[in-house]
Amino acid sequence: MSNRPTYPAGYDKSKRRTQRAAFAAFRALSFCIVFILFAILGFIIYKGAGVISWEFLSEAPTDGMTSGGIFPAIVGTLLLMAGSAIVAFPIGIMSGVYMNEYASKSGWAVKFIRLMTNNLSGIPSIVFGLFGMALFVKYLGFGDSILAGSLTLGLLSLPLVIRTTEEALKDIPDSIREGSLALGATKLQTIWKVVLPMGMPRIMTGLILSLGRVSGETAPILFTCAAYFFPQLPTSVFDQCMALPYHLYVIATSGTDIEAQQPIAYGTALVLIAIVLVINLLAGWFRRYFEKRVKTKQ
Amino acid sequence: MGKIEAKDVHFYYGAFHALKGITMEIPQNKVVAFIGPSGCGKSTFLRLFNRMNDLIAGARLDGSIKIDGQDIYAPGIEVDDLRKNVGMVFQRPNPFPKSIFDNIAYGLRVNGIKDKEFIRQRVEESLRGAALWDEVKDKLNASAYALSGGQQQRLCIARAMAVSPSVLLMDEPASALDPISTAKVEELICELRKEVTIVIVTHNMQQASRVSDMTAFFYMGELVEYDDTKTIFINPHEEATQNYITGRFG
Amino acid sequence: MVKFVDTELKSIQREIIRMWTLVYDQMERAKQAVMEFDKNVAKQITIRERLVDAFELKIDSEIEDFIALYTPVAIDLRFVLAMLKINNDLERIGDYAYSIARFVNESDAAGLDKELTERLRMEEMFSTVLEMMTSLRQSLEEMNPAHAISVIAMDDTLDSLNAESNTILVEYAKKDLEAIPLLMGLGSTFRKLERTGDHLTNIAEEIVFFIDAKIIKHTGSQEQE
Repeated sequence: MSNRPTYPAGYDKSKRRTQRAAFAAFRALSFCIVFILFAILGFIIYKGAGVISWEFLSEAPTDGMTSGGIFPAIVGTLLLMAGSAIVAFPIGIMSGVYMNEYASKSGWAVKFIRLMTNNLSGIPSIVFGLFGMALFVKYLGFGDSILAGSLTLGLLSLPLVIRTTEEALKDIPDSIREGSLALGATKLQTIWKVVLPMGMPRIMTGLILSLGRVSGETAPILFTCAAYFFPQLPTSVFDQCMALPYHLYVIATSGTDIEAQQPIAYGTALVLIAIVLVINLLAGWFRRYFEKRVKTKQ
Repeated sequence: MGKIEAKDVHFYYGAFHALKGITMEIPQNKVVAFIGPSGCGKSTFLRLFNRMNDLIAGARLDGSIKIDGQDIYAPGIEVDDLRKNVGMVFQRPNPFPKSIFDNIAYGLRVNGIKDKEFIRQRVEESLRGAALWDEVKDKLNASAYALSGGQQQRLCIARAMAVSPSVLLMDEPASALDPISTAKVEELICELRKEVTIVIVTHNMQQASRVSDMTAFFYMGELVEYDDTKTIFINPHEEATQNYITGRFG
Repeated sequence: MVKFVDTELKSIQREIIRMWTLVYDQMERAKQAVMEFDKNVAKQITIRERLVDAFELKIDSEIEDFIALYTPVAIDLRFVLAMLKINNDLERIGDYAYSIARFVNESDAAGLDKELTERLRMEEMFSTVLEMMTSLRQSLEEMNPAHAISVIAMDDTLDSLNAESNTILVEYAKKDLEAIPLLMGLGSTFRKLERTGDHLTNIAEEIVFFIDAKIIKHTGSQEQE
């Protein structure tokens, strides 16, 4: 071994210095994001915390929405979330199962569905709103209603539900499926009794996160459901309803008295953020709970 | 008549000719080991016996495979019925994320057995048969994941035996286990031969020699030699077999 | 076919014990054949010699199978190697019994002089060999090295009896030239028995070696626990 390399002097030090600098930059940027998040949260809380009170949460807006609460909007948002879940979950989970379990992985059907799903998730939400209005409100004649809004929001969250279901199932090793099939179980039994229970924690997480997204959408309900002002609670799925994001939009842009309404806007924003936050925490909790359940006892 | 009879079996993955005209007969209640280098087709051949390769897209089979004289690829044969009769144990333990009890009961339940008392008895029998009962009898409701790797593999064997198959396929059942667990699984194989015909794929030559009655050596998709394990390990007729089992390969 | 290592080892041990009984029997008959100069018994020995040979081959191939199929190590390896050697030793002892029988068969003499056999202490020579065999067999069956060690000392008796027999036989030969073939046969019988003693000593050493190893292994595993 005569060809031993001569290492340039000082290179060791310089490469370690570069590494330290690079990591410092990464760290700074990461903390930046946290900082921004806290800034937004802090700002909203600072501005909105003042108006939060039991009355604010439990009463309808009064005096041309310059005072009173946002109760109907909270209820409306929750209703829309539930509605969209009822629409999106079964369809989304079934499509996800079909794509990962039944359809041949390289076949045209899966490729086509996946392409369409990706396209669907790329469509701006306002276009969903427009489409929802054309199909549900006008063509099917549901009118501006919770039903039409839920269907539109459901369509919007469909790609996410399909994708998370698919991803969750993809992570389950084939050996588990083979183990079930090798015992004489059919494919459906395998999916129903083994695959879905195993994928459930992740599927549930995806579903809950999609709810979070739905709760914040404004555009799709703009033409399909949301009421500018509808202080009483809806009594059927064909009623219109108020919703937090739309309410926020309305009082922030086209209110009757912008000055008086500003605190209400921030309060609404705070409630909205709180709902999304609760949902995200719920997702995490759900995931842990399900994982534990799957691992220990069924 | 053999328990399993394969006649001129060719198997293709798309354009790849994985098995080239294999004819062999596996006698009832014997342990037959498949040995050979990776990619020689032994696992592929094994998985034809319970039609596990059906899952692979673009695969094609020529020739016939009969179990108890019945062509298992004939039209009208339901794979789930076949698999009830031809159990399988895999390379890595693959218990379901369920309790120990439910893992064993699974095969019975998916095949329509509802009688709780029968299931309970069968679970106990199967666990005893897999020499696992004493280790788990106090924690049947605990997750199967709480068991060690070796225990999990024996659980999987018990699970396969619970539906009382007449053939048990084992695809490198001990390759992921430590020596002691391996010895236990091997002992189990020797016990189980009384009840089932066992076909085992293994990379471990000593395992093949210890455990099997007959050994088949595969190379490049062909069955090079198939004979009594004694003959294969003491006086193989083919030079390729000799080179492989003595470790002088390629 | 049994498949567990232990049962397989037990079966080899059982076969060796059977071989032992067979060879012991041959030697006992050889004693009878010479002492009583009974050609019938001698014939039986020649017939059974084939059985001993066949049995040796059978055990050999069984041990070969075991090594090939189970690749034994440590105690198991020492055990089968010891059994292999013991098997060969036993076969040689069987050979000696056979050639003693042949001498009786081929001899023209009608019988042996009582006084001569007593002076040669032939009875004692045979008995010592048989006693050694019994002890060793017991030691193998019970896995107890004590019996085997006692056997090694008994070999000295055989050596000295053999040495003494030479002088006595020469003395007799001088008196009766006619009897020389018979006396030579007796001399070779003594040498065979002395050689048998050597083989038995070998066996004793094999047994001590492998059993001691077993004891060492046992204490080792107890310490671990």
